[in-house]
Amino acid sequence: MKNTFWKALGVLLLLYVFSMTLLVPLGPGLLEFQDKGKVQHSDIVGRSLPVYEVIGFGTHWDENSDSLGIFVKSKGQLAALEIFEITDETHALVGLDLPYSIPSKSWNVLVNHPIDGTLLLENALFLSDRFVDASIELPTPAVQEFGSNLPFHFPYQPQIVETIRNLMLHVPLWFTMFLLMGIGFVASIGQLSNNRNMEADMRAFASVRVGMWFGVLGLATGSFWARFTWGAWWVDDPQLNGALVTVLVYAGYLVLRNAVDDERLRARLAAVYNLFAFVILVILLMVLPRFSESLHPGKGGNPGFNSYDLDDALRMVFYPAVIGWMLLGTWMYLLTLRMTRINRKLDLLP
Amino acid sequence: MTSLLLEAHPLEGLFFGSGKAYVVLAVAAIILIGLGFWMWRAEARLKSMEKELKSTKNNTSS
Repeated sequence: MKNTFWKALGVLLLLYVFSMTLLVPLGPGLLEFQDKGKVQHSDIVGRSLPVYEVIGFGTHWDENSDSLGIFVKSKGQLAALEIFEITDETHALVGLDLPYSIPSKSWNVLVNHPIDGTLLLENALFLSDRFVDASIELPTPAVQEFGSNLPFHFPYQPQIVETIRNLMLHVPLWFTMFLLMGIGFVASIGQLSNNRNMEADMRAFASVRVGMWFGVLGLATGSFWARFTWGAWWVDDPQLNGALVTVLVYAGYLVLRNAVDDERLRARLAAVYNLFAFVILVILLMVLPRFSESLHPGKGGNPGFNSYDLDDALRMVFYPAVIGWMLLGTWMYLLTLRMTRINRKLDLLP
Repeated sequence: MTSLLLEAHPLEGLFFGSGKAYVVLAVAAIILIGLGFWMWRAEARLKSMEKELKSTKNNTSS
């Protein structure tokens, strides 16, 4: 009963993870702030203003549209934009009313709405034809700030957008691979301390064999993620190349085992190789990428999900995903180990 | 890249509005439950093989 419980728990946790991952909506965000290349007369200021289009994602601008506020902000100074037209729930045309002398050329766009709360698009507006005067003070607009009023949702992240759901696959798959390769590392140390007992060798073999699957799936999900966020299936990045080399090093472990017939020699050679493979894994995936520039989150000054991106909604799914995948991986490892034991016993039968 | 794609075909409409998210979830759930069931069956088969092997070993040694 106890033996079945944790296995069923692993499957149930993963069912919960898949349900949440695929069905929880993404929160609203801002996609673009585009210059429409035309002007429109403003009745409020009594002159023509350049027209810009604000494009949102998952926003609700057609509801409570009177309360929608769109602003630009730079160097702590805020300026309200005149809303000419709310085209639909995610599109609005606005007029930019800024003086010739401005505190900075680069501006953030802020949108405030009673349902969506405050949304930010950093460096969305660059005014190259204006004069910069850091001492200038713009008149402060009246702002009525609303908090968001949304159901349970995943946070919107620029560039990542809907692909943030892949977090529940990609990262836990690598964590499970680390766990399994760690089991293999400990087993290999055990094998080297007592080369007569083949149990440790079988443990190391089973863990690496299953861990390889998780490594390959980690690479595949990472490659898909890169395609939709960075625009390429593979980029020359220390983290990505390190992950590929690690998987290839472990593939070498499996090849090495098949190349040696003598059981004890094979166990000793494979154990030594496995120790080096694990050290390479730690260096290539955990140490080196932190000392070099990388597109990958958590490396080279590029913030990881754990710093500020992983909010409470993501945590509610991410942590069960890590536990679920690890339980499934452990179950697979135990099955492979039992199969390896049976194969060995069959080989030893007269 | 994703921003441009989303602007042209918002995933919220394409993926959720069309009900495709439920189809993907159903396929994922079938695969996961199938995998769990297959592993549970494999465990039962391994158990019987271990038993058989043990009795064969005992018979050989006696």
